[in-house]
Amino acid sequence: MKMTVYHGEPNGPSLTVLAALFEKGLDAELIHIDLARGERHNLPFAQQPEVALSVEGEGPVVVVDGEAMTDSVFIACYFDELSQDNPLRPSDSYARWEMMSWCRQLIERTAPAAAHVGCSAYPPSCDPTTVARIGSVDLRERWQGTAARFAGEGSAADEQLADCQAKIAQAVAKIEARLASSEWLMGGFSIADLESYAWLAGMVELVPSAFLDRPLTADWMKRVRARPAVARAMSLARGPDPAHAWAPGPEINRWG
Amino acid sequence: MSDVTLFHWEPNANSGKPMLALMEKGVAFHSHYLDLLNFDQHRPDYLAINPQGTIPAMTHGNRVLTESTAIMEYVDEAFSGPTLVPKHPQDRWRMRWWMKWLDQWLGPSFSMIGWNVFVGPAVRSKDPGELRAVIDRIPLPERRVAWRKAIYGQFSDAEMRESQRRVALGIRVLETELGKREWLASDQYSLADINGFNLAYALPLSQPTLSNDQLTPNILRWLRAIYARPAAKACWAMGRTAMVKRVAILEQP
Repeated sequence: MKMTVYHGEPNGPSLTVLAALFEKGLDAELIHIDLARGERHNLPFAQQPEVALSVEGEGPVVVVDGEAMTDSVFIACYFDELSQDNPLRPSDSYARWEMMSWCRQLIERTAPAAAHVGCSAYPPSCDPTTVARIGSVDLRERWQGTAARFAGEGSAADEQLADCQAKIAQAVAKIEARLASSEWLMGGFSIADLESYAWLAGMVELVPSAFLDRPLTADWMKRVRARPAVARAMSLARGPDPAHAWAPGPEINRWG
Repeated sequence: MSDVTLFHWEPNANSGKPMLALMEKGVAFHSHYLDLLNFDQHRPDYLAINPQGTIPAMTHGNRVLTESTAIMEYVDEAFSGPTLVPKHPQDRWRMRWWMKWLDQWLGPSFSMIGWNVFVGPAVRSKDPGELRAVIDRIPLPERRVAWRKAIYGQFSDAEMRESQRRVALGIRVLETELGKREWLASDQYSLADINGFNLAYALPLSQPTLSNDQLTPNILRWLRAIYARPAAKACWAMGRTAMVKRVAILEQP
């Protein structure tokens, strides 16, 4: 089995996937792509449905036996299922449910908010030829929305930003509460820690109020960073600060 | 005596997912019907079980579970019976990917149309003061917005057009995928099929110009194959509304 991981800077979903790969001690060819310039859309498998229509937006792609896989939480589950060593999910079914539903709420509420806040502060830029190549109309619109916000167009932008910042604060409050009774979010270290950390690491600078008086979260973030697999993922950064690397993520819930 | 209770509405969308998964596994459960159109899901006795006020929820002994897709994975793992998750890790990845795409991309668009044509009109005639009180009781702000739009018919033209675009595209995508494999995620009937069926069972009736035997033979083959399963028949027989009885379209050859 040959595995290739196309990843961006170690932030957000790329960080989850790289760190999960290293936690599991799996072998893969690593190829750095600039997600913030839309480089994923120039790859040969970009139009495969699971890449073009990925709900995650701009994220890493893992290619195994010709099949291109996306979505960091499920890729991490996939890695976890390839070997029994260093499990990244709880063994008890109920604890696994807890982890999967935690991740679900995170990718549905926190991730779109973090991507929006991140892209507003550190706008990615994609040339028009590449934008035109984006297979998903709604992801293309998120790229265009990012560009428009950066150009100062549209008045809804600020309103959305405040809502996104509130969602970051809610996520941190939830994490702080979980950590009152355990070292990691699900008891033992798991994909939930990686995915939560990966989306929130860049928010410490951008939404500082969310992290005020959250000592357990601050310690937890240190513990995550100190893990050799996370440190190794961070060492793959090409830019000065991977926490500044953002690209359009999942869309903000259309229902409100 | 079963120690499983499922709090659910109709065998449709999110409620139907754990219902069908439990029935496929052969797990006996207490059915606790919540009438979504009567706002049972926002009443204190249910909020004591699921403070978010979303349907469905399941209790297993003293464990409480929410989030329908995550519940399905639990049901498959925690109970004996036929396995509803493929064995190969790559097939499992595909199963989860397609469920997320259904849950978070295609489903909300189907749902917006359904709420606009079915749920909104069904509750709109209630007393205006009572409706305001009902909306105020909804715990999640996102759901409050959604209910307000459904009740007062406030979905914008742009929103509805976008949902229609996604439904049309989603149907084409599903048709293509089901041309590659017998089932949605792999060669095995799985949770992804249970998930998809809950969204699409009435497709030939709700979107007749987009999904029919000529245009989408693979989707029709797939829907009929699922409805031919005894568990699916038994599950949809639990439905009480005309909305769910539309499944009868799949009995025609």
